[in-house]
Order: sequence, then structure tokens, then C-alpha cells
Amino acid sequence: MDGGNSNQQGMHTTPFTAPPRQEMEYICADCGVKNEIKAREPIRCRECGHRIMYKKRTTRMVQFEAR
Amino acid sequence: MAIGAEASSSKPKPKSNFRTVDRERTFKHPVESGHHAPILTEFVKPHIESFNSLFDDSGLPHGDSDGSGLLALGIRDIGERVVFDNDSRPGSSTADRGLGNRMRIWVDSATISRPMVPEKDKKCVERRVFPAEARERLTSYRGRMVIKIKRTDALGAIHEYTKDCGLVPVMVRSVRCNIQSASPAELVRRKEEPEEFGGYFIINGNERLIRYLILPRRNHVISLIRNSFAARGPSYTPYAVQIRGVRPDQTSCTNNMHYLSNGSAMFRFSWRKQEYVIPVMLIFKALVGASDREIFEGVVMEDYENTFLTDRVELLLRGFKMFGLQTGEQCLAYLGEKFRIVTGQPEDMSNVEVGTWLINKVVLVHLQSPREKFRMLLFMLRKLYSLVSSSCCADNPDSPQHQEVLLPGTLYAMILKEKMEEILNNIRSTIAAEVRTGAVVDFQDNKWFTKVLSRVSFDIGAKMSNFLATGNLVSPTGLDLQQASGFTIVAEKLNWLRYISHFRCIHRGAFFAELKTTTVRKLLPESWGFMCPVHTPDGSPCGLLNHLSRSCRIVTAPLSVKHIPVLLGSHGMTQAFAPSVDGRANLCVQLDGQVIGWARPHVAQQLATNLRIWKTEGLHAIPMDLEIGLVPESKGGQYPGLYLFASRSRMMRPVKYLANGRDDQVGSFEQVYMDIACTPAEIEVGVASHVEHNPTNFLSILANLTPFSDFNQSPRNIYQCQMGKQTMGTPSTAIRHRTDNKLYYLQTGQSPIVRPELHNTYAMDSFPNGTNAVVAVISYTGYDMEDAMILNKSAHERGFGYGTVYKSQIVDLKDVRGATKSSAVPTVHFGIGRDVRMEGEKAHTCGDFLEKDGLPMVGMRVSSGDPIAAYIDEVSGRTRFVKYKGDEGAYIDSVRLLGSDAGDTELQKLHITLRITRSPVIGDKFSSRHGQKGVCSQKWPAVDMPFSESGIQPDVIINPHAFPSRMTIGMLVESMAGKSGAMHGLAQDATPFRFTEEDTAIDYFGQQLLAAGYNYYGNEPMYSGITGEEFAADIYLGVVYYQRLRHMVLDKFQVRTTGPVDPLTRQPVKGRKRAGGIRFGEMERDALIAHGTSFLLQDRLMNCSDYSTAWVCRTCGSMISLGYDDVSLGEAVGPGEVNPVGPGGEYCRVCRAASQERAEAERDAARRNQPPPGKPIPDIQMAVAKDHLLSRGQKGGGDLDVIAVPYVFRYLCTELAAMGIAISVQVQ
Repeated sequence: MDGGNSNQQGMHTTPFTAPPRQEMEYICADCGVKNEIKAREPIRCRECGHRIMYKKRTTRMVQFEAR
Repeated sequence: MAIGAEASSSKPKPKSNFRTVDRERTFKHPVESGHHAPILTEFVKPHIESFNSLFDDSGLPHGDSDGSGLLALGIRDIGERVVFDNDSRPGSSTADRGLGNRMRIWVDSATISRPMVPEKDKKCVERRVFPAEARERLTSYRGRMVIKIKRTDALGAIHEYTKDCGLVPVMVRSVRCNIQSASPAELVRRKEEPEEFGGYFIINGNERLIRYLILPRRNHVISLIRNSFAARGPSYTPYAVQIRGVRPDQTSCTNNMHYLSNGSAMFRFSWRKQEYVIPVMLIFKALVGASDREIFEGVVMEDYENTFLTDRVELLLRGFKMFGLQTGEQCLAYLGEKFRIVTGQPEDMSNVEVGTWLINKVVLVHLQSPREKFRMLLFMLRKLYSLVSSSCCADNPDSPQHQEVLLPGTLYAMILKEKMEEILNNIRSTIAAEVRTGAVVDFQDNKWFTKVLSRVSFDIGAKMSNFLATGNLVSPTGLDLQQASGFTIVAEKLNWLRYISHFRCIHRGAFFAELKTTTVRKLLPESWGFMCPVHTPDGSPCGLLNHLSRSCRIVTAPLSVKHIPVLLGSHGMTQAFAPSVDGRANLCVQLDGQVIGWARPHVAQQLATNLRIWKTEGLHAIPMDLEIGLVPESKGGQYPGLYLFASRSRMMRPVKYLANGRDDQVGSFEQVYMDIACTPAEIEVGVASHVEHNPTNFLSILANLTPFSDFNQSPRNIYQCQMGKQTMGTPSTAIRHRTDNKLYYLQTGQSPIVRPELHNTYAMDSFPNGTNAVVAVISYTGYDMEDAMILNKSAHERGFGYGTVYKSQIVDLKDVRGATKSSAVPTVHFGIGRDVRMEGEKAHTCGDFLEKDGLPMVGMRVSSGDPIAAYIDEVSGRTRFVKYKGDEGAYIDSVRLLGSDAGDTELQKLHITLRITRSPVIGDKFSSRHGQKGVCSQKWPAVDMPFSESGIQPDVIINPHAFPSRMTIGMLVESMAGKSGAMHGLAQDATPFRFTEEDTAIDYFGQQLLAAGYNYYGNEPMYSGITGEEFAADIYLGVVYYQRLRHMVLDKFQVRTTGPVDPLTRQPVKGRKRAGGIRFGEMERDALIAHGTSFLLQDRLMNCSDYSTAWVCRTCGSMISLGYDDVSLGEAVGPGEVNPVGPGGEYCRVCRAASQERAEAERDAARRNQPPPGKPIPDIQMAVAKDHLLSRGQKGGGDLDVIAVPYVFRYLCTELAAMGIAISVQVQ
């Protein structure tokens, strides 16, 4: 169920190389705490254990034609 | 308690306000206790309370029972199952009969807990699961069901087993819900509406509810005349009486008594969907062992002169002699013997016991003792004979008088009971099968029994979820219902009006939808006050799908009425057991289908009056919801009697009792014989007994919200009830937390200036449904003909009718290609793999929309085909994209990462909310609140709009022709009221029935307009925006509340030049979604033919459809026999002859084969000196004129021509050829 297991499986089956582990910040839907969840980590709030996360709004400039 | 605020005065109040500040405050600071609009929790009560009644801790009054919930009562009714181990050793309990040891198995109890986080998850702080989580995570809101099963072993000791029955859906805000008693503030914290009222289930993130269904009134005998009864068999007649008996656990069993042409009667019931008929005498005898005399006296009731009656009873008694059954015991044994196999009772039960059990199970199940059943059966027979002799009429089963409501909780309890019964039956049959196959069966071994239990499916939760998700009833008994599907509906949150209507809608039954006759759909006067006459859809469900009137309640609490028989006895009622009662002079007194006594008509009248006074004044502990149905004696009318009803599921409504001025509750049975005045002014002394609290109470909530609906022609109000539900409005105030498939949201909703009083009562301002618009009734540009309306472009630019659609897109990696179904560890993950270059010069375009986690950026605009998520397939190592499929540009509004129930799995499911902006465009639909819908035809520039003397420009222009034929005077009044309300700052009261002939609405609002400096009638001089000249006529200008309907051109337009074709026929496909065409059907074809436009016809049906060219053989006319010789190889040369071939090498295979054959035959014939054989004749021949040939085969060549034919014709030729029919096309 954990990361080690899936890695093992990946090694056995294909020459699959996992993408670099990267963290993204998400917001817990219940308590609003920022959670850093790496790829393949369970979706669960570190503070309250809630099971829904919201993605944060992008920091990239978003510009549309105002028409 | 009366529902809602009652009218304070009949005159419109001059001073009113919009309560904007109050509303703002309650929105910002929802109260910590109580409600903002208590009525909102009131109108879903039947849903919630009926669900609560499942449990012992329902919080409902106990009534006469011990307070057990329907679950416990159901378990009691299920009883026990018995198995034997066929152990022939002496010492076992029934070894003497060769059955061996006896084991009893029964369900002891069942519990359903509140929705909780599974035990597996240790880290979770909040253990409760709230409805919002179920919605957001697209799961079901359910709690764990556990049942306790008990059994005896061979020695009689009791063993107990606890079994998990899975998670069953729980009704929101019921006693098993985690937000049952939450305050508005708490609800907002829990991501609900501040006035969330519940009453629905959450299944896979959808809100579904069990719709009310109309059922025959319980425990009441109705007489029926149906020709179909006569077709049941020989000597059956159309006459029958019917009673639907209901057990304490709310399950029911319908009994019929049919009149036979020989004067006797047959008793009919159904058991496991199979119908059985028994002579009624057999049941009379089996019940109480009644003597012939007892039955004779019981039916005739001292009416010995009535030879009609005595003759038939005599025949009844004589007819039974042939059975040769004298005593009750014999009758029971007879019944038991016949029904032993069908009922599947244990082998060691005697026939008499089986007979008794059967009678208990199916005969008048609402009564406990055989004597009571006997009395009731006698009454049924008397009513049947009375029906046959035409001294009473047939009852109308379509009338609400004889109807009640199937409540959600009741149905839920029935299904749960049946599933538990099924479990018991399965356990029994599993053990019985083991015994039969000779497996080791040891009743003393607990391990063995646990193993048996493990082989039986206990998953009630999945079955209940499936029932709620599909509305399909999977049941071996059918639950005494007429339909097996369509019980549940989605509570669409399209807008608030539609949403709340779901909770008040009541369906007649799917069975009646297919009925050819329309009698069931009729609006009957009996439904006054219970079902809204206005609020029903037009079209196929018209009259079958009704909505409850605003004040209509459904009784959900059991009442305590045990003392009533004694009480009535002390006030002059003859007891039921009285030895001799004159049937001619006495009326039967019944309480919930139990004969409690007899009374002379005037005594019955007095008893009814007494009861009503007692119940309204709270004397003698008579419950308020007791229904006192006194059916007076009449000549050939309804069968008389005093029928009291105290059961649940009845429709009741509050009115005022005139005799003492108290509130009274009136049921649909008793109302028929009452005189209820609509207004105090209409009370006729000596006639009216009651008066309505409010003259608008007979309307549903929605119908009540139509302003000045009493001024409109009635169909317009029906249309408004429909269109109100299709409006783009405010579906929810918690849109951020909603995951509905599609939500329509009006950005610029306003509080209507003109609103009925109930608009405030139901807090409709929290959910605005439209915009106040300045409306000019003028034919201005010509763009307003045929119900089109012109929108002021500046109004549009200011945000008039600006809407948004929220759509959901769910990405579930479980369903994508490459996902492994079997393994617990997923092999597909969200993210962008190394195979996709995210940086550098040749970066993949997905980087514009997706981040490295494979999820879209929130706030980004996506258009059709853009990637919306990316995932990596571990097996192939490739990154794949999920694309946005919509046609319009959308914005990523939110992205939800959904975990699993226990929060222990990685991200596999995603919920993306897409926001699509929908500013009004030409072709969008709008409507006022008076059934006046129209399509926007132009957005007219403000400079060219007409203007009034005060410089006001209309937001909307509609055509005067919209009024004369539709007679929506309410809209004209609303226009005046809105105008004066806007000028004076008043929220105008538009409650119907407030104005009279003397005190007219025109005058009231005309005076207000005068006071504001306008014309009394609302007309104004206006100037053309184009020429600046004043119009010759004054223009009717006012303020009307306009709704934007959800039907928008963007969802509907369909164009096609070329596009996909059907592979089989090569004709254009149909359907907007598939870029198909619009069918040019035979009626359109007829029109073109009639016009003589043959080129157009050719163009539509051929050139733009399935034009094709085909080779046709000039000789045989076949279109399917094209063959090719390879010309490049030179002409094929046969033995001694040259086959004719076209320039491309084409030839007709049929003709070539035929000619070869003929040549051979001729040679043969020549050899034998016989005449040559004739040519075969094709089945169908048709001619093609010469000028239709596209190319002509060379003379002496292949003999093939090219013609243009529709491709389907070629297809037809091949299909016919497959059937052995040849088509010949003759080319001249």
C-alpha cells in the first residue's frame, strides 16, 4: 500500500522510471490547512485527517481578452 | 400547528419593505439556534419523520404502541424460520417424526448507525461524516447496519450472532444524520445551506429522494365496479369490494371480495405475486368457527324482509355445504393443507397451525383478533351486497377521498424488512440444502453455523443503495405495490423553486402513466386543499404528477386512540359485540378499519360533532389528526357509516372550525361531506362548518409565488409553475461545495418588487430567480413579433440576465484505459511523466494548462480539446491526457482531489468544476412570471430605444399582441405595481384574492402611480429613439420581474453542411451531439412535391443525403452483379468465345454466368434436339429513363451502365437479394 511497494512493482514489471518526486501544496477542504502532498501519497490532511483537498489557484498570470 | 404566517388582513398593506438589511445580517451571521425560515423545515417533515419512524428513538410520539420503530416491528412480523437436521437418532427433539433436531432462527434486532469514518482510519480527528463530504467526494451518505441473529440449538439453548449488513443510505437531517438538529450557523460550518432541510439521500454524490406515491386509503373498504373483474373467470361479476390492510410495521396486504353471479362471494389475496381465491365462507368459518346462523345473522342484521339479502346469504350458506367442512378447525386444516407448500412452513406444523398462520398473514392484516376480522369481513360482505343491489354506489379510487400517501420511510422500512426476511430464508435454505446433500450438519457446533452464515449474503447496504440509485424495486413479494420502478428521483438543484418542488410532488403511480383512459388525470373537487390544481406539468405526466398544496400535511406520527371505542360507547354507540343490531337503522362505526360499534344516524351525527369539538378543544385526549368521516345516509350514494381514521400517511390540512373558532385538521375523506368557506365573507350561516385560514392555501408553494395569479387565465399560471422551475436562478448559496453535474446560476438576481406574501415566508429572497426589468409593451422595431422580445443592449451590458453554468467533469483513473481492476495498488497515477517535455523550446503545450501533478491550473481558461488532466500509465510509462470535450470555452473553477473512505489511498479521482459564462445572446429564452415566455430577438442599442418623458428607457420591449389572447392581466397589474413600487420604494404585495370588485387592484396601484406623478393607468407618452418623435399612442411602461430560462441557443443550435454519415445507409446521422442533420421527413417531402420544386426535392433527398452511383446491367437489370476483369492482362478469353467486357473491365457476373449456362444448355439442347430454356424473370422491375444515365457502357462492351441512385437503394437491393428477391432496373 505504501510507496515502497509500488516502486518494487514498477521495477519488476517495466523499465518504468518514476517521475521526480515533487510536492504540491493543496488545501484541506475541512480545516483549510495547506498540505504538501507528494505524488502517490494518500489524500489525507495531516492535521485533521480529512479526505478532500482543493487545488490552490494558480500563481501564473492569467490574462484573458476582455471582450 | 398551521403552516405559515396567516393573512393579517384582507387589504393590502400600504407600507412594506424589502428586508434587505435583515437578509444581509442573517447571511453574514447565521443564527446559532432556531431557524430563519421555520417553514422550510416544516414542508419536508413527512420525508424526515417517516424515515425517523424506522427507529425506536424516532422522537415521534408513541401513540398506542410501545414506541418500537418500523424496523423492530418488521422484525417481529418476520417471525422465525425452522430447520431440521434429519437426525434419526433418538433423543433429538422431533426424531419421532424422522425430522431430527429442530432449530429456530430469527432476527433479534437491527441497528443503523450514523455515517462514520471507518475504524481503519486512526488519524482522523472528526469521526463523523457529514453530507457535504459525501457530495464532494461523490460517495453515498450512509451508516452501518448491523443485525443480530439468534438461533436455538438442539437442546433449545439460544445462540446469538452479530452480522454486519453493510452501509445503508441515511436520509439527510433524519435522526441518523450527523446534522439532524444543527442550527443555521452550524449548517453553514458544515458547508450546507443555512436553511438546509434534508429529506433526501446522497447516492454517489447525487441527491436522490423517494417520491410520494398515491396508494389506496388503508383499512377502508371501497366498493368497485370494474368490467375486468368479470373476466376473472366463470360466474365472476364486475362487483367487488377491496380493502388495503396495513400492519403495524406499515407493510400492507390488499384483500378483495368478489361477487359471483350465484350470489356468493370469493375472497382474493396475493402471496408472493401469485393470486389466490378462497370462498369467503371458508374464511368466515376458519376465523371464529362461526355457525351458519351466526353468519346469517351477521350479514342480514335483522333485515329479514330484504329478500335480496336473505336469498344471497342462503345461497352462500348452501353453496358451502359441498365442501363438507363443518367446524372452524376443519376449515383451518383444509386451508393449511392447501397452502402448506406455497407458504413454506416447517414440516412439523399441523395443518390447522398453517391455516391459522395464513389467516394471520393475509386476511385483514390490520386487525389482530379473529373476531375483529370476522366482523370486518361481515361488513365487507354487507357492503358488497349493497353495491350489487345498487343501494350504494361504487367508490372512486381516483378520488383523494380514498387515497393516502406512500411515505419514503415507509417504503424504506418495507424493503429493509423484506431484505432481512430474505436473509433468514437464505440461511434456512442453505442449511436445508446441506442436510439434503448429506453434508456434516451439527446444530450444536457454533463454528458450523458461523460457516453457514458466511455463505449467506448479508449486504443489505448495497441493495438499498441500488434501490435509491435506480428507483428499481427488487422484491419477491412486490410489497403490495403496483409498480416496480420509478420510486426515486434526483432532486435537481436547477434552481431553488425546482428543488423545493421535488419534496412536495406526489405521483399517481407509473401504472397509470400507460393507461389510455384519462380519468385518472382528472382534477377532482375532492382534491381541493390537498393537491394543487395549478401545479402540474402539461404533457404526458399531466394530472399524474401533482404537487401537494401549501398547507397540506401528511400524518407521520402514530396517534393514541385506544380509548375512543369506550368513549363513544359511553356517548350512545352500540358496542360491536351487541347480539342483535338492526342493520337498516344503524350505521357502522369504524376506527381504522375495525368495527367498533353501531349507531343510529342521528347518534352517529352527534358522535361526529362531539369528536370534532373534543379534538379541536383537546378534550378526552382526542388527537388533532383524527379524521372523522361521517358518511350520511343517502339514496344510492356512498355506503354510509362513521369512519374514523387515526393512522399515518393520511393527508390533512388546517382549517378553522366555526363552531368554536378553533383550528381544526381536516382529512381528504371527511372533507367531501363538509362545507368549508373560502373566506370569512363567504360563510353561510347554518351551512358552513369550517372556514379556510387563507384563501390561497389550496395552491402549492410555487403556484402561490405567482403574483396576482387570480388575474390570469388559469393555464398561464400552470405555465408559470413550469417555467419557474426552468429558470436560471440561484440554485444554492453553497455553490462552492456543490458537485452537481450542471448548475445554472444567475449572477444578477434581484428581489422582486412585486411579490406575494409567501415570498417572504418561504425566504425566497435568499435564492433570487430573476431581475426586475422596465418593460414597454410596444411594437417597435418589428423584431418583437411572435413572442420575441427586444433587449436593451445597455441593460445587457449592465448585467441583465447574465448567467453562469457550472459543469462537473470527473476524472476517475479507475475507469481509464490501462487501469488494473484486480490489484489493490493502482498502476495509473496522476502526473506528467518524463516522456513529456515541460521546459525548453519544444515544450509540450499541456504546460499551458497542467501543472506537474497532472492537474489543471485553477483559474485557467480551456477550450475544446485542451488537456484537463494528465496521468501516467505505469505499465507503458506513457503520459496520457484527459481532454476537455465541451464546445465552449470554460474556466477551471475548482479542482478537488478526492481521497478514499478511509483516507489511505493515493489520488485516483478528481472532480473539476468548470465555469462557463453565458451572457444573454440572441435566441435565449426569457419569461415573466405569468407564463409569457419569449426569445430575445435583438439587443437593441440604447440610443435607438424609445424613451419616456422622464428619460426612462425600457430594458425589455414586448409586443402588445402577447396579451389579448392570453389574458394575463396579472402581468399588466404587476407592471403597474412594479412601477409604483419602484417609485415609492415599496415591496408590493401581490398575494392573490386580496382585491375585490369594489376595491380594485387597478385603482390601488393607479393611485400610487398618480402620487408618483405618472398616468393613473400606467401609460406614458414615449418618444422614438430613432426619430425623436413622440408616438401617437401612450405606451404601457412598467416594471416586471423577468426570469431567464435555462433553454439557451448555445445548447440547441444545430447546423451542418457536411459531416458524419451513417456507415450502413451513408445518410447523414441524426443528433446535435454528433454534428448530425435535421431530418427532412415525409411531410416536408410532401410540401416540396406540392410546390413542384423538384430540383429542391432532388437536392434534399439525394444530393445532400446519400448520393451514390451504381453500375447496372442493361441486360438483366441487376445492380449487385458487378464484376471486373483485369483489363491490363488483356481480354479474358474463354474456351471458344469472347466475354463482353466494359472499358474498365467491368461486366455483369449474372449475365456472363447465364450466357455461359445458356450456351451450354443450347449445346446440350442442340445435342438432344430440344428447345432452349427460357430466361429467368426478376421479381421486381423498375425503369430508369435514358437521360438519367451517367455513363453508358459501350455497345457490345460489358453491357453495364452507370446510374445515380440513393445509397440506401443499393443497400435495399442487397438486403432483398439476401432474401432471394431480385430487383431489376431497366435502363432504356
